[in-house]
Amino acid sequence: MRLTIEVWRQDNPEVEGHFETHLVEGAQEEMSLLELIDYLNDQLVSEGREPIAYDSDCREGICGTCGITVNDDAHGPVKNTPSCRQHLRSFKDGAVLRLEPFRSGAFPVIRDLVVDRSGMDRVLQAGGYISVDAGTAADADSMQIGHGRAEKALDFAACIGCGACISACPNGAANLFAGSLLNHLSTLPQGSTERSKRARAVIAELDESFGPCSVYGECAKVCPAGIPLSAIAAVNRERARALIRTGKDD
Amino acid sequence: MASLVSTKSSPRASTGRRKRPLISNVLAKYIMAVTGIIFGLFVFVHMYGNLKVYTGPEHFNAYALFLRTLFEPLFPYEGFLWVFRIVLLTCLIGHVGCAFLISSRAKKARGAHKRRGLRGFKSFTARTMLVTGIVLLLFIIFHILDLTAGVAVAPEGFQHGSEAGSFAYQNLIASFQRPLASLVYIVAMVILFLHLAHGLWAAVYDFGVTVSEKVRSWIILIAGVFALIVMLGNISIPIAVLTGIIS
Repeated sequence: MRLTIEVWRQDNPEVEGHFETHLVEGAQEEMSLLELIDYLNDQLVSEGREPIAYDSDCREGICGTCGITVNDDAHGPVKNTPSCRQHLRSFKDGAVLRLEPFRSGAFPVIRDLVVDRSGMDRVLQAGGYISVDAGTAADADSMQIGHGRAEKALDFAACIGCGACISACPNGAANLFAGSLLNHLSTLPQGSTERSKRARAVIAELDESFGPCSVYGECAKVCPAGIPLSAIAAVNRERARALIRTGKDD
Repeated sequence: MASLVSTKSSPRASTGRRKRPLISNVLAKYIMAVTGIIFGLFVFVHMYGNLKVYTGPEHFNAYALFLRTLFEPLFPYEGFLWVFRIVLLTCLIGHVGCAFLISSRAKKARGAHKRRGLRGFKSFTARTMLVTGIVLLLFIIFHILDLTAGVAVAPEGFQHGSEAGSFAYQNLIASFQRPLASLVYIVAMVILFLHLAHGLWAAVYDFGVTVSEKVRSWIILIAGVFALIVMLGNISIPIAVLTGIIS
């Protein structure tokens, strides 16, 4: 394959970035987007130039480390698929690929395609945990919950925290991310004892770091974990519930 | 990545973390959803009342008078109507205020690189909410001047109603017999459809109703059909006047 790559280059957060155009010959259809960048980087290094910085880790779609914007789509052209699982077979020979970092006000560029996602970390610090007494492991099934409830919690626990939802959102909102967190933990008995406290803390952090949700529905289209759009409704539901339970933690 | 983050200047400063706002995003969305639902019900009842135009001038004018004398003698003439107007105006202020609040926050939160490449009808209605909303606001002003206040853009020979009787039918026909005015009404109703179709659907999410994908498609359909009924019911009237079906 012969591809034209327009890639965002930016040395550090303080300088202005720009697009750089490269012609790549001999790329294979089986290559993932990340392998394409590796291939291009080999070319750049052999020419004595700086390779393109980008995030990646597992390369099998479970870790949430990778994520780039490809022709305006967060992660790439295939819906609900992380960048590492997107392949060049989605593109025609001779196509132009514009590779950008994940875009959002809360995601300043660190270098090239690498962004700072610490806004998401702050949301997790605010309420992405449950308070349990440490000690020996509890007996299995000592706290019984129905299968349906366990499955529902797992569906929302599937979030890998990549940030694609935020980058796809025209409003820079993180409601799918935060909603999946709230839904996941409030569904299980271990998390329900501090349900209202968590909602208040997480949603206050959303207001400080991210934008408001206008229900565009763009987030659920790109989410590699397939978090359904109903997660965003959980943010408003949990906040209203916490208001009714003012003064209580659960 | 961790090693990169820890180098020298903290990028946190540039993430633009904001002070916690007085009106939270969730509260703003609840205000928009509640007031939006009130407007949705209002335009439906309004459309239903408008359709009485097909039952003839006596019935239609009697309905107009009925609205002005509602709950008499508990309320004076037009008394309840004014209560209703004040409630709607309060809703309008809340709805428009929160709309601008949300859109300005959204703009800031998104940062310098706008989202591009949005496709599809669903996202079209979503991203034009501010535009369709402003057009509707201008239309409401036009509509009140035209058929309530009877000034400026009102048809010649506008007759003000009184306790003795209403001339709503005559005024409506006189206004819609002007093709330009009819066009304004028709275009405004199409805009209302776009605004309602997204707004009603979004309100379900704003109210925190978590639904399955299957129920979601039903809600989209119901919101769309509701908006379509309001649009078609209202549009039929200027068309009926222009084609001489009612005069």
